[in-house]
Amino acid sequence: MRRKRYYMAELRTPQELGTEKIGKLLIRYAIPAMIAMLASSLYNIVDRAFIGHGVGPMALSGLAVTFPLMNLSAALGSMVGVGSGTMISLKLGQKDHKSAQMLLGNSITLNVLIGILFCILSLAFLDPILRLFGATDTTIGYAREYMVIILAGNAFTHLYLGINCILRAAGHPQKAMIATIGTVLLNTLLDYLFIMVFHWGIKGAAIATVISQVLAFIWQCVQLSDKNELIHLQRGTYRLKGDLVKNMITIGLSPCLMNAAACFVVLLINRGLLKYGGDTAIGAYSIINSMGFIFVMMVMGFNQAMQPIAGYNYGARQLPRVLKVLYLTLFFGTLVTTLGFLVGEFLPDLCIRIFTDDEELMAIARRGMRINFLMFPLIGSQMVTGNFFQSIGMPGKSIIMSLSRQLVLLIPLLIILPRHYGMDGVWYSMPASDLLSVILGFSLLIPQIRKLKRQIAQNT
Amino acid sequence: MDKHYTICMGRQIGAGGRGIAALVSESLGVNIYDRTLLKSASQETGFSEEVFEKADEEKTRRGLRSMFMSHIHADVSANCLSVENIFSMQSEVIRNIHAQEDCIFIGRCADYVLRDSDRLLSVFISASPEYRIRRIMEKGGLSERKARSMMEEADRKRASYYNYFTGRSWGMPESYDICLNSSVLGDSKCAEMIVALAKERLGI
Repeated sequence: MRRKRYYMAELRTPQELGTEKIGKLLIRYAIPAMIAMLASSLYNIVDRAFIGHGVGPMALSGLAVTFPLMNLSAALGSMVGVGSGTMISLKLGQKDHKSAQMLLGNSITLNVLIGILFCILSLAFLDPILRLFGATDTTIGYAREYMVIILAGNAFTHLYLGINCILRAAGHPQKAMIATIGTVLLNTLLDYLFIMVFHWGIKGAAIATVISQVLAFIWQCVQLSDKNELIHLQRGTYRLKGDLVKNMITIGLSPCLMNAAACFVVLLINRGLLKYGGDTAIGAYSIINSMGFIFVMMVMGFNQAMQPIAGYNYGARQLPRVLKVLYLTLFFGTLVTTLGFLVGEFLPDLCIRIFTDDEELMAIARRGMRINFLMFPLIGSQMVTGNFFQSIGMPGKSIIMSLSRQLVLLIPLLIILPRHYGMDGVWYSMPASDLLSVILGFSLLIPQIRKLKRQIAQNT
Repeated sequence: MDKHYTICMGRQIGAGGRGIAALVSESLGVNIYDRTLLKSASQETGFSEEVFEKADEEKTRRGLRSMFMSHIHADVSANCLSVENIFSMQSEVIRNIHAQEDCIFIGRCADYVLRDSDRLLSVFISASPEYRIRRIMEKGGLSERKARSMMEEADRKRASYYNYFTGRSWGMPESYDICLNSSVLGDSKCAEMIVALAKERLGI
């Protein structure tokens, strides 16, 4: 029989977390996490690059206004994914395979239901929704063309994302990564074929996305139909059970709400840009956002690596090691975002040319990028701080950190600044909220570090 | 057949579960693990006791604050200090104790953790609300109103903890082998019945 693995079991006895050199651990855990993170940010970049060059700058803006809607859909997908993934790894840890199996079946049904419901509702109100997110007569054609196809495949998107979470929870993080990277490669290939060779326009990008996700889903199903696997697809598990659904949704609700809130922020940004800069500015923002995302994702990779190391050592009261991993992650996080700052300030054209050659769009994007990236050297530490609080079992502070930068501080700035400074006001809101949240972060982190140091002093 | 037997006891606050368990343990000569389990868990895993205590008292994912417990992009299962991971560690400790000695577990979903054991007796002790409130008042020197709210809070917490981790229903007869009402039977009668049943069913 094939070797069966328990992901949780591995985590429960992570001896090396308490003994191995911190730097070595951090790098070893960070590399796979970073690859996975980068792969998912590449997805957006590839789509946007092909559309920018192959279809045109207005198509890029059309694509950008669909982004909040796509985000909302992803939020619902991650709700089921995180919820079922957490529950399944819990049940596998208890060797309760029957319940894990039920959860897998239930999560598939739930994904299909939510996927179809979202598709129907969005299609019914597609034009008003897109207008709300910043579409104009010039861009709505592109947005609609793209979104109709994406929505038709929406159930598959949910299934693909959801099962990836489950694969990770069930002890197959490598398979989940293969699916992620596979979709990115396939999507790139198909994008090239459909847009550059067949000239299908923006529709081509949507078809490429749907096809690559459907194929990834089929591959996942093949993986999960192996009867020797701990959990596999099985008849009779698809009927929804009230308590399972309730548990999955309660766990998954928080990532879902965060994503939904992020979508509201994009809405504010898009509308502000449209008002003061027109359609082109929305396209420019999507370019800047894609670039920023790369660096943010790399920091998240380090964050994911820090979590088990800081958490284990905090639990085991090896506090000097906790501080060490914190300092090291702060260093790497800052290094990555400083690199982003240098690229954004001094080589913006290098990035922008990936997406477009249009002079007007380039000019707006260049200015936007320079402003947007101003506080980048600082935000690395802000993100690490938020994650650190979560790793040591203080989710409250961690939530304050992530809500502050992307929501609580940003929203009022986005409402006030553009009134006085126009388009620049929109751009400046972002570094301004970065700066404020960095200050907030340090005011929470420094007392925590002092406390840890006091505890270390008491122990010795 | 398992080498050692286990009696797992669930109980409502104020129903006298601990006293009954003490009588049973005296009569059978075995250890009781209640909060002391957390100490064993800490010794075995190297994690500090506070970590387990905190998770023990944590309200499971209910309410607005706990709704935000997990995070965007964060892999919940990868967090060492998540309630799920701590529950898993605690379960491992319960299994290890079960493998080493005959004993009584109070709470902590031990009946679910050890559900596959063939030498397990799971018991639930309940009592009427008036009886429970009186006992809580006597034990803690509390007013009736305080005792009532403490009882309601404890019931809610225990049910949400048990139901979340086990997928069963806390306090419902289908989740246990026997359910006894201590306000009707009295502590010593309850203990007597448990001992008699354990001797008959567990091959002691």
